[in-house]
Formats: sequence, structure tokens, C-alpha cells
Amino acid sequence: MSLTSKLSRRTMLQATATGIAGSLGAQFYLPSVFAQGDAPGASLIGDLEGPVIVSDPGLIPTEFQEAPQLAELVAKGELPPVADRLGLDPLVIDPLHEIGTYGGTWNRGFTGAGDKWNGYRAAGYDMLLARATNGQDVVPNIAKGWEFSEDGRTIDVFLRRGMHWSDGAPFTADDFVFWYEEMFLNDELMPVKTVSMVLNRVPGRVSKIDEVTVRFEFDEPYFLFTDFLAGGGQAVDGLNAHGFYAPAHYLKQFHPNFADATSLDQAIAEAGVDNWAVLLKLKNDWAINPELPVLTAWKTVSPINTPTWTLERNPYSIWVDSAGNQLPYLDDIQMVLAENIEVINLRAIAGDYDFQARHIDIAKLPIILENRELSDYTVYLDTGDYGSDVAFTINQAYDIDPEVGSWLATTDFRRALSLGIERDQINETFFLGTGTSGSPVPSEENRYNPGPEFRTLWATYDPEQANQLLDGLGLTEKDGDGFRQRLDGQGRLRVEAVTISGQFLPFTQICEVIAEHWREIGIELIIREVERGLSDTMVGANEVQMYVWNNDGSENVFVSPKAVIARGLDPMGPPYGLWYSSNGTEGLEPPDHLREAMEKFDRAYVAPVEERTQLAKELWANAADQVYAIGVVGLSAASMGIRIVKNDIGNVPARQYNSPASRNPGISCPPTFFIKE
Amino acid sequence: MLHYFLRRFLIAIITVIAISILSFAIIQLPRGDYVNTYVAQQTASGTQISAEESENLRKQYGLDQPMWRQYLTWISNVLRGDFGLSFEWQRPVSSVIGERLMLTIVLTSAAVVFTWIIALPIGIYSAVRQYSPLDYLFTFIGFIGLAIPSFLVALILMYLGFKYFNADIGGLFSSEYVNAPWSRGRVWDLMKHLPLPAMVLALSGTAEVIRVMRANLLDELRKPYVSAARAKGLTEWQVIMRHPVRVALNPFISTIGYLLPYVISGSVIVSLVLSLPTIGPLLLRSLLAQDMYLAGAIVLLLGVMTVIGTFISDLLLMWVDPRIRSEM
Repeated sequence: MSLTSKLSRRTMLQATATGIAGSLGAQFYLPSVFAQGDAPGASLIGDLEGPVIVSDPGLIPTEFQEAPQLAELVAKGELPPVADRLGLDPLVIDPLHEIGTYGGTWNRGFTGAGDKWNGYRAAGYDMLLARATNGQDVVPNIAKGWEFSEDGRTIDVFLRRGMHWSDGAPFTADDFVFWYEEMFLNDELMPVKTVSMVLNRVPGRVSKIDEVTVRFEFDEPYFLFTDFLAGGGQAVDGLNAHGFYAPAHYLKQFHPNFADATSLDQAIAEAGVDNWAVLLKLKNDWAINPELPVLTAWKTVSPINTPTWTLERNPYSIWVDSAGNQLPYLDDIQMVLAENIEVINLRAIAGDYDFQARHIDIAKLPIILENRELSDYTVYLDTGDYGSDVAFTINQAYDIDPEVGSWLATTDFRRALSLGIERDQINETFFLGTGTSGSPVPSEENRYNPGPEFRTLWATYDPEQANQLLDGLGLTEKDGDGFRQRLDGQGRLRVEAVTISGQFLPFTQICEVIAEHWREIGIELIIREVERGLSDTMVGANEVQMYVWNNDGSENVFVSPKAVIARGLDPMGPPYGLWYSSNGTEGLEPPDHLREAMEKFDRAYVAPVEERTQLAKELWANAADQVYAIGVVGLSAASMGIRIVKNDIGNVPARQYNSPASRNPGISCPPTFFIKE
Repeated sequence: MLHYFLRRFLIAIITVIAISILSFAIIQLPRGDYVNTYVAQQTASGTQISAEESENLRKQYGLDQPMWRQYLTWISNVLRGDFGLSFEWQRPVSSVIGERLMLTIVLTSAAVVFTWIIALPIGIYSAVRQYSPLDYLFTFIGFIGLAIPSFLVALILMYLGFKYFNADIGGLFSSEYVNAPWSRGRVWDLMKHLPLPAMVLALSGTAEVIRVMRANLLDELRKPYVSAARAKGLTEWQVIMRHPVRVALNPFISTIGYLLPYVISGSVIVSLVLSLPTIGPLLLRSLLAQDMYLAGAIVLLLGVMTVIGTFISDLLLMWVDPRIRSEM
């Protein structure tokens, strides 16, 4: 208790300091930039744009060119000609602005072996399908196309004829069959099957129709499957043996069904691992193993566990621009290790990075803008598609303190807490006004957005109504400081929020400001700041009353449903989530409104697109009305959306769709980026 | 004599064993483990990992075993020279630590040398010219150095470097040499980057050395043998350097052992701020991620260095001071 209050005082001081710095920034640095438009920062938020895939057969180039160093290798006879490497169906991209030129290095910064997504986002774009520029529709990527059977139970995926792995071996349906039969079905390698390949606890099946056609079959309609095919891939999922396909010709030497026992044992010992399953995953790790055959436009040459994670062009890249130049334009990507995020920000401001949004801190926006001319870069804000950059997810099954638990489970109590937050102040102070105040529903551009009125439903600042709601619940007794008393006579009604330290937003300081807001409605907020890993453990043990985080991923509500239902050990109510995930055999039966949401979710999961979209909107409407989570500020660029780009980089979008699914800048096709003369 | 040596040696061994158990236990004390960190990292980036899969990972890394068994496996491998695999780096711990250890030792050794080069002459001067204006000035600067945390000095230097010189920010190498194999160019590049962080580290230590040297020397200067030396007609320089300074250096020699752990752990915070590829940031990161074989190896290394350092100090003292020998 004393620790908590000590922490609170300290963080309060920090919050005040940040607040002052923030408002100073707004007064003295920003006017020139933020003066235009109503919303401050609006001038930094451009229109959504991106390159387009060329599908018209008449516009597909027939002559191909390649990078000079590859042409040299071809001339020496060390590499087949570019047309042979590309195969018959290259992925033709019409670049956003212009045809580029070859050469140059893309400089970025990364924070170490845990920062895998840094490279995944820049270069790990090998999903079978991908998101269109708007972030909603699904378009071809590694696969040329797909076709659902009428009942939605069978999906045929069409591959590109004559496509190759980065070592020149053919990429065919056999690589899917190998993955399915030797990896997916192998219980030693994958005791828990790829989540998206399992529909209502029954695993799907994969089979080869011909060299370039793969069939996925499920027992129930699975129109949602293309959403999952637009995720995953070898780069991101190979290290866990997921990914739908794998380089059979390479991995067989590490698989006991193919390798001879002595050499496999030797390889296991050499790598210093315990068994073949760990070895195979290590060898299938796109960021770790430079020998691994890959499909991405660049491949790792100096792995992530060295001080400089370096990737170079894949000579067998299938990406081609509309003039027939094999992509990427940039020769390589070099990510230099920084031991902390402050150093990344300073280096970015010094102009050391060519194109970087990852780890850029929104609180530094004024300084970042101040140095634009000096360091010759432009700043773009990519606003998030998910509704909340800060949200309090409320545990409706909290039972350690039954009285607090019962209040958290009371809808009007949650609504009152939500109405008691002065969101615009938080937006000004911590987001420099670049966010949007409101509920956690996804952006108005999102296909599942339930309608503009739900942005403000129970999510405006109305302390009067909040007080009425709380009084109406019988919480009328107050102590000398104006705090409401518990009904069991145990003193003040205190609610507790868990925040996570060292993140891209100062969650703890934001909560300290909200604690001041809630004082006005007589509710005391206690804040506990913990380390990220610990917070997960606490949530799982049902010890957390309110979990403060963003709701990224919730824009694809069927991929990440934690904002609309409880599933697994989600902070909304772990016992309820367990009940749902175990089909009612474990955990606690949820209240009616949550159970109805779960049923609706199950129905939507197997429904065709229109019905699914309608049900998703209803799920969001329910979540906003029930206030499963209190949205504070969202739709901002705080998470990987403060994009610093050197002025000599070409084909840079004014705004790109920003969410985990877009893997931005992946969605903007980095192979089309180039250095202008 | 031999008996004393053996007893100290035995105690040192027992201490190291205790340290290894304690460090392993302390690293595991916080709830959760590396799998929690890994899952948190992955979910923060949009990959879903189910609870069953977490359990599977735990089994794979041996984290489902009771702690004493994990410890025994670890320590028996350590005795064979195998420090295990770092979860986060997916590389043997020895190779992760390897080059960083070397750079750490180079950096902190440079800092120690800087400290002594700056502080010893100043300490001597301050003692000989006690209460002179320069004594006050040096003492003042020394205390400022002691009072300002070195990470703050590092931050200020970084800012100035960025603002006025557009200099390389942080690191011990220019980008073209970061991953390069060792060559003359790379060593030169390191030499160019070394002075700034070494000075930052050195600054915090100077005040202490100045004050200790000054106090010791003042004690010695008042002793009769100094007057005797003067009476013999030696020059003032000879009088001071030949006898009292040598005696005043004694406390530094007996604490030389403590430098061993310092050269590894002395630069943690400054390294973090300046983004230096030393052991410090690695230790912090591994503790946060509960990458326990890596963290365990570093903590064990620090412990062993401290024990060896103390052992050396004991032996030095025994050699220097006859009173200790006579107690045996």
C-alpha cells in the first residue's frame, strides 16, 4: 500500500512534468505546423494511398530488367536470367508515384533480438494474401489468387507458375503438403496446432491438386480464412513451425522422417539445442538463419542476434514494377542496434534513418518537427485503425474483493467511470491533440464500425451524469475528501488499474491524470505499474481489476476478439474466457449480455461476408453500450505511426493504413521504395 | 601461511557456489518466465499465441521443471564450460557475452586509467598545496563530478554532440564497422569512439581518488621521516615522490582487487544511455526478459570476479602487512 502511494506521488510528478512539457510544446513549437485545420496535427495526416497490383493481363510487362549486380552474376553464368527467375506469373506492382532506380541501403534502427517485428514489418511480407491499401480488402500476394467453394468449406489457393525460393529451388504445392503432413500434423513439432487452421476444435486439411493449386478443407464454412491467409507466412511464423508452407527441400535435413539419425544428432549438438523440433524451428527462423530459403524481397544475411541486422535483395524476388524492373530497388536493409529507445529517437532526429516509424515516440513530436529541415526528413502521421491507444479493459469476473468485483460487473458503474474522464485533456497533453477522444470502436473507415454515434456513446465527459449514475447505484455515502464509501463499511471504494512500464505511451502518467478526473466523481483510482511479462501472469491469475493498454488487433475483430468477448485468459474476465474456450466445461458462465455476444461471435465466424459484417457491427455496438472497455483516446499515430522519412526516398505514401494486419510499412510495398538522385 | 591461503581459497569456492545458487534463485524470483515475455512481445505485435502453446514452449525450454532441477542442469553444464542457450538471442550465452565482455573491459580499463591519470597528480598537488586556490578549484570540480550522475553527463554530452557537432550518437563503432571482423581500421574506429564514454565514466571516480590520495598524503607529510628527508637536502620533488607518495598509494593497491568486478559492472547505466555494446545493457535486458541462462551467466561472472578480487586483495594485504601474517 505504501509502495503504491509512493509510486503514485513519483509518477504524479512525472505526469505533471510531462503535462507541462506537453502544453509548452503545444504553445511554443506547434503553431506553425498545427495551425491549419481544426484538429491540431491535421496537416501531418495525409490521404490514404499506396501502390496497386496490376491484374490486367494487357498491362503485365513481357520484358524484364534486374539490378546491375544481379545482371553481372547472370553474365558470369552464376544465376539464371531474370525472366527464368521470376517465373510465368510475377507479382506486378504499379508504384505509388514513379518507376524507381536501383541501388542504396535502407538504414533503420532496432533494439535487439526481441525486436523481430522491426524486420518483419520492413521486409517480412510473405503472406499468401495481403491487405489492400484500405486495410480492409484482401488481395493476392505470394499466392496469385483463391477460390471458395459455394459452401465455404473448401478454399483453393493458386500459386504462381515457375516461382522459386531464394536459393533457386521451385516453390510448389509440395511445400504446402510438406508443411501440413510433416510439420502441422507432427505432434512433437506442433503439439498445439496453428490456431487459424482449427475451426471449432477440428483441424483443417491441406492437399495438392496440382503443382500450383493447394486445397484447404474444413468441416464448416470458413469464409474468414482469407483474413488469416493475409497474415502469417514463413517470415513471421516459421520460427514456431506455423506459416502454411515451408521449404521442404531445405528442412528435410532437420526432420527425423527424412534425415539420417547420425547427421541429425550432430546438427542438434552443433546448434546447442535439446531436440530436433527446436532445431527445425531455429532453422526455419527467417530472422536468425541466413541459410534459410525464403520468398521475401530481401533475405537476412546478418541475423537479428548480431549488432547489425542486415538483409540483402533476394535474386528470386517475384515483385516487379509495371515497367518490368525486378524489385526491390534498394539493395539492402541495415538495422543498427540501439540499446534503448531514446537512442533510436535521437538518431532518427539526427537523420540517421531513411524510413522509420517503429519506436518513434509521440512525446518527441515537437523536437522531431523542429529538426525537419536540418536533418532533411518529412514527418507523416499514420493514424491507427483500432479505436483506443489507451483503454481500460474491465475485468467483469474479478472476485478477490467481491464488492469491487460486483461493481466492475455492473454496467452503470462502468458507464459512470467512462463518463468521468476528460478525454480531450488527455488528448492535448499526451497526444499533442493528434488523437481522437471516444469509445474503443474501430475507425469509421473500418468495415466493422457500428456507426459514428458509437464513438461517443458513454464516452463523452459528463461528470454530472456520472455522479447521477453512481448515486443511483446506492453509492451515496462519501468521506471527508469526497470519495464514495463501500457498502460493506470497509471505507473508500477504491478501484485498481494495472499499467505496463516502458511502453511507447506513458500509460501510468495518463492514469494519474484520470485518477484526478475520477476524484470529481468520488472514485479513487489506485495505479499499479508492472513489467510487461508480469502483467500477463497477473491477468491470467484473475488478479487484475482494470487492465490499461491499447486495443490494437481489435480492428480485425475475428482475429483478435478480446474487445467484444472474453476468450481464453483475456483481461475482460479470465474465468468467462475459459468458459468460452473450453466450451462450458471450465471457468464461470458469463452474464447474459456477454453470453449472447459469444453466441453471435460464433455465428459470425462461419458466416459469409455480409452476414459476418452485420454481426460484427452488432458486437461492437454491444461492447460500446456495455462499456466492456473504457476507451480514452484512440485513432492516433502513437503506435508505429510517427513516420520519419528522408526527403530523398521515393514512392512514399502520404498516409498508410496502420494496424498490426498491415504490417506498415509492409502494406506500402517497401520493394518500391528507392533513393532519388 | 599455506594454511591461510588454503582457508581463503576454500571460503572463496563456497562463496562462489552460494552466489550461483542465489543468483539463479533471484533471477527466478519474479513471477512469470521467459515464455511470458515472449508471448507478450508476440501479442503486442499481433501474433496470437494460445495458452497451450505457451505451455509447449515452456516444456521445450525446460521451464516446466522444478527450480532445483533447472539449477542442477544449468550448473553442471556451466562446470563443463557450457553456459546454455540464450532464449532471446537464440545463441549460446558464451558467444553473446564474448565480444561485449572484451569491449566492456577495454572501456572500463580506459576509464580507470583516465581516473588515475587525472586524479593522482591532482590529489598529490592538493595535499602539498593544501588550501591553495587550485586545491579548492580541483576539489570543487571533483565533487561536481561525484555529485552529477554519470548518465546525466552522458546525456548532456550526447545532446551537445548532436546539436553542435552532428556527431555519431552513441555506440563504440561507426556503422560500417559494427559487424566487421577485427582489422586495423576497426581498432582505430574503436579508439576514436572510446575517449568520450571513458571520460564520462572516469569523471565520477576522480573525486574519490583525489580525496583519498589527498588525505593519505597529508597524513604522511606530517611524519618525521619527511622532515628527515628534507634535512638530508633532497629536493622537494624527491622528498615527496620518493617516500610519502609511495606510502599513500598503499590503500589503492590493497583495493586493486575490487576493480575486477567494477570493470564489468561499472558501466551499466552509462552504456545504456550511450548505447554502448557492453555487458550492461545485456544484463538489464536479460533480467527484464527473464532470459535466465544469460542473466545467470553475467551475475555469476560478476560474483566470481568479486570473489577473485577479494582473494587477490587478501593476498596482497598479507604480503604488504606483517600484522596480518602474524595472526595466522
